[in-house]
Amino acid sequence: MGCRTQQMEQSLQQPYVILSRRRRISVFEILHFVQDDIRTVRFFLTSVIILSLVLAGCGEKGPPVSESEVRAVFEKTIPSNLDDKAWEQIPVHHAKLLLQDMVEPRLMQASTAFVDVQSVTDGQKIIFRLSWNDQTLDDVPGPGRFGDAVAVQLPATPTPDVPAPQMGENGKPVEITYWSAILQAIVNGRKDDIQAIYPYANVGHYPFEAAPLKQGSATQQEMAKRYAPARSLENPMSGPRTVPVQDLIAEGPGTLRAAEKILSNGSGKHSQAGWTVVIVRPFPSGVQLGGRTQVAFAVWEGSHQEVGAKKMRTAWIPLSLGSSK
Amino acid sequence: MARVYNWQIRREMSYWYPESRPKRQFAAVFDTNKCIACQTCTLACKTTWTSGKGQEYMLWNNVETKPYGFYPLAWDVNLLEKLGTQSWDGERYTGRTIFEAAQAGERVLGWRPEDIDYANPNVGEDDCVNGVEKGAHFSGVHNAWFFYLARICNHCTYPACLASCPRGSIYKRQEDGIVLIDQGRCRGYQECVKACPYKKTFYNTMTGTSEKCIACFPKIELGLQPQCFANCIGKIRFAGWISKPEQARADNPIDFLVHVKRVALPLFPQFGLEPNVYYIPPLNVPREFLLQMFGPNVDAAIEAYRNAPNDKDLAGLLTLFGSTDRIVTKWKRIDEQMLGYDEGGKEIVRVPVREPAHVRQAFDAARGVARTNVS
Repeated sequence: MGCRTQQMEQSLQQPYVILSRRRRISVFEILHFVQDDIRTVRFFLTSVIILSLVLAGCGEKGPPVSESEVRAVFEKTIPSNLDDKAWEQIPVHHAKLLLQDMVEPRLMQASTAFVDVQSVTDGQKIIFRLSWNDQTLDDVPGPGRFGDAVAVQLPATPTPDVPAPQMGENGKPVEITYWSAILQAIVNGRKDDIQAIYPYANVGHYPFEAAPLKQGSATQQEMAKRYAPARSLENPMSGPRTVPVQDLIAEGPGTLRAAEKILSNGSGKHSQAGWTVVIVRPFPSGVQLGGRTQVAFAVWEGSHQEVGAKKMRTAWIPLSLGSSK
Repeated sequence: MARVYNWQIRREMSYWYPESRPKRQFAAVFDTNKCIACQTCTLACKTTWTSGKGQEYMLWNNVETKPYGFYPLAWDVNLLEKLGTQSWDGERYTGRTIFEAAQAGERVLGWRPEDIDYANPNVGEDDCVNGVEKGAHFSGVHNAWFFYLARICNHCTYPACLASCPRGSIYKRQEDGIVLIDQGRCRGYQECVKACPYKKTFYNTMTGTSEKCIACFPKIELGLQPQCFANCIGKIRFAGWISKPEQARADNPIDFLVHVKRVALPLFPQFGLEPNVYYIPPLNVPREFLLQMFGPNVDAAIEAYRNAPNDKDLAGLLTLFGSTDRIVTKWKRIDEQMLGYDEGGKEIVRVPVREPAHVRQAFDAARGVARTNVS
């Protein structure tokens, strides 16, 4: 205990001194003194631990910071997952999030303040690693319940006058890759049925699963679709939920539609610090490696009832493609 | 926001889109006095449309006991409280509609139920206002009251669900005014669930989209009444087409009941949606409650309904309720018979204005015995 200060030594000895000075003392008073003393020791030890952690942290070098742009660093191979060591060398852009308060329904109260963005490209694909603070894990859908989500937006074709940053504009489409915590949970193995969300749900009968229909047969599948019209119409919201992302196109608020194919992928992980998500999408069309375009991001905080237009979003941020670290 | 005219509140009001009335408007009249809350309508709808995964909790049609029954919980009182004072000047509503009272950033004043709010669809069933004393029996007027309120989507002229959808995924069909959610376009934002004051849009967790009552449009297209109408045991429902008041046709059953006799009233007209299900108000409920629920014409509606025994046209029309599964678009009374016609002018139903009744004497003189119910 060489690091003990004089003050600490005193505080450790103090109760005994006091007790020895007082001949008559109640049990409650003893407890009070002991508690006081424990608090003092706890405070000191906590301070020591925090200080040592800070000092230890100073020794580690974090990723470099890119202040004015998102720098998609060229690598022959893009990082394979969100925990890849390679990310430690990739510049971070600290993107400020703004309220979506331009079109109704607007978000009136700010939630997520920043999203940290890193990016790597191999010339074929571009990967974004996005992390933001979110204390609550929201990945269960339901009435009045929304999932956490994040999206990356790029102009569909790079032009000198970029589309409006909020969902593009008529004649100037934007490409959006949308990652959802709800989809991620299903991809991670949560069964895509009602019992996975409501474990005590007791359903007596689904007509499309009743005998003599053979489970999984073409007839049975066809009949099941009739009870899920959104699925019959191939609405991407209704599955199949095999990847945690959707590729979308928009030409202004309210015009979001599914791209012909889902070409992107991603994955996300929640921790106490919040979400870390990677989104891999095709290299932006119409731009060469070494060129530049724009990128924008949006974050939805499910527990804050954020969905659709109610979101935190960035303005366009310059994106350099294939820059060095 | 556009300015539109809402005849139910006798004034212009703000709405997200300009006025665009359909070529004709699906409408219905429900006689609350005849409903026994057997829930046959609820099951007819459930088995027809909502047996899928994610629809387990959904009741596009439900019957609740008023004042304590709700589906979802507190659907009406929650919004009434948010809306604040709702004042009328005669037949003109001088308070704010839910479009006019929308909070900053929103298109409609609303609230979003959670799953727990749907968990007890029949909560408050048969609970009456005021306690019933032990040994109490009916001897005329009694103060304990409740009534059954059957509800479907109102296929409103100014739907809040449609106004609230940021994607334009909800549309009102020009051919019949039925309000539908495009299942191919909806992204499950639940803005419609929040906005609909009647809470008749529902989020489907499995499809990730919102769904609602479709007024059995495949049946409507064939000239048939929806499932909840055709299966109604109490014969409380009548489906048809409604005109604007100035274009009302007295030989159109719905126009006659709503515009001519004014016996059927909209549900919470002050919300501003111009709902198209009209209710004959219950007779045994305090007027203050009914005024809030059905607007300022309650007294006149009840008076007209009470007068039905002396009004052969009204009595005959009420007898047409539940007498056919087809949609009656025109009626004619010939003496003691009421005739219903379809769109082609073909007679599809004929009923007596008053059902013939035979009363057996309590004492069977021929056999010298008192009759009981089983004799």
